[in-house]
Amino acid sequence: MKILKSIYNLFFVIFFSLFINIALANINQLNDYYKTIRCLVCEGQSIQESDTEFAINLKEQIQKKYDSGMDLKTINQELINIYGEEISFNPSNNHFILWFLPLLILLIIFFLVRNKYRKN
Amino acid sequence: MRKSLILPFVGLAILAIFTYFFINKGEKDNKKNITLPSLLFESEDFYDKKTLNQKDLDKFYVVNFFASWCKPCLAEHPLLMELQSKGIKIIGINFRDDEENFVQWINEHGNPFFHIIRDDGSIAYEMGLIGVPETFFIEDSEIQKKVQGPLFYEDIEKYL
Repeated sequence: MKILKSIYNLFFVIFFSLFINIALANINQLNDYYKTIRCLVCEGQSIQESDTEFAINLKEQIQKKYDSGMDLKTINQELINIYGEEISFNPSNNHFILWFLPLLILLIIFFLVRNKYRKN
Repeated sequence: MRKSLILPFVGLAILAIFTYFFINKGEKDNKKNITLPSLLFESEDFYDKKTLNQKDLDKFYVVNFFASWCKPCLAEHPLLMELQSKGIKIIGINFRDDEENFVQWINEHGNPFFHIIRDDGSIAYEMGLIGVPETFFIEDSEIQKKVQGPLFYEDIEKYL
C-alpha cells in the first residue's frame, strides 16, 4: 500500500513539474518573441519592456492568438501586414543596398581621388 | 578635364535612380494592407445592443477611436460634434476603457457617435491602431485617410 502511495506521489510530482515546465516554456517563448517586436509609441523599446497602452494591448492580442493555436511565424507575418516591417526588430534580409551604399560611395570617391593624383 | 567629370555624373545618376526606386518602394510598403475588420460589423452597440448594418451607413463615414482616459480625445471632441451635426455618421470605438468612466464621459461631453462599440483591443489591433485618438475616413468601404492623434479643423474641413 505504501509503495502504491509513493508511486502515486511520484507520478503526481512528475506530471506537475511537466505541466509547470510546459507552461514556463510557453511564457518564455512568448517573452522572447515580445523582445523582437518594436513598440511603435516609444520606438527604441520592444513591447516586452514598454508599458504603453499600445504595447500592453499588442501583448494581449498576441497572447490570445498564441493560445488559440496560431504559431509565432504566422502571428509575425500578420503583424508585419498590419503595421509594416518597422514593427519587427528583425527585418527581412532585402536591405543589402542600404548597408553597402556607403561603401559604394567611398569606393567611388577613392577612385576619383586616385585618378586625380595619377594625373598629377 | 571632361573625362573626369563623367564619372561623378554617372555616379550621381545611379544614386538618383536608386533613391527614386527606394522612395517609391517605401511608399508602397507604407500602404499597409489594412482593411475594415469584420469585427466592426459584428460588435454590438453599447446602448441599443444592435450590430451595425452596412445598409445604415452612407457612402462616406468616419471611424473614431477614443477613450475617457485620453486627453487629446477631449480636444477633438467638438470637431466630432460638428461632423455629426452635418449628418456624417461616426462609429465610435471605445478603446480599453472602464465602463463607468466611459458612460460618465459621454454624458458629460455629449455623444457624437452613430454607433458605439466597446473594444477590448481586438478591433484596434486589426486596424493597426498605435494610440488614441485615431480617426479613419472611409469611403466606399475603403480607408481613404487615417489621422493619428487628435483631429484638427483642417482635417475635416473638406467634409463639412
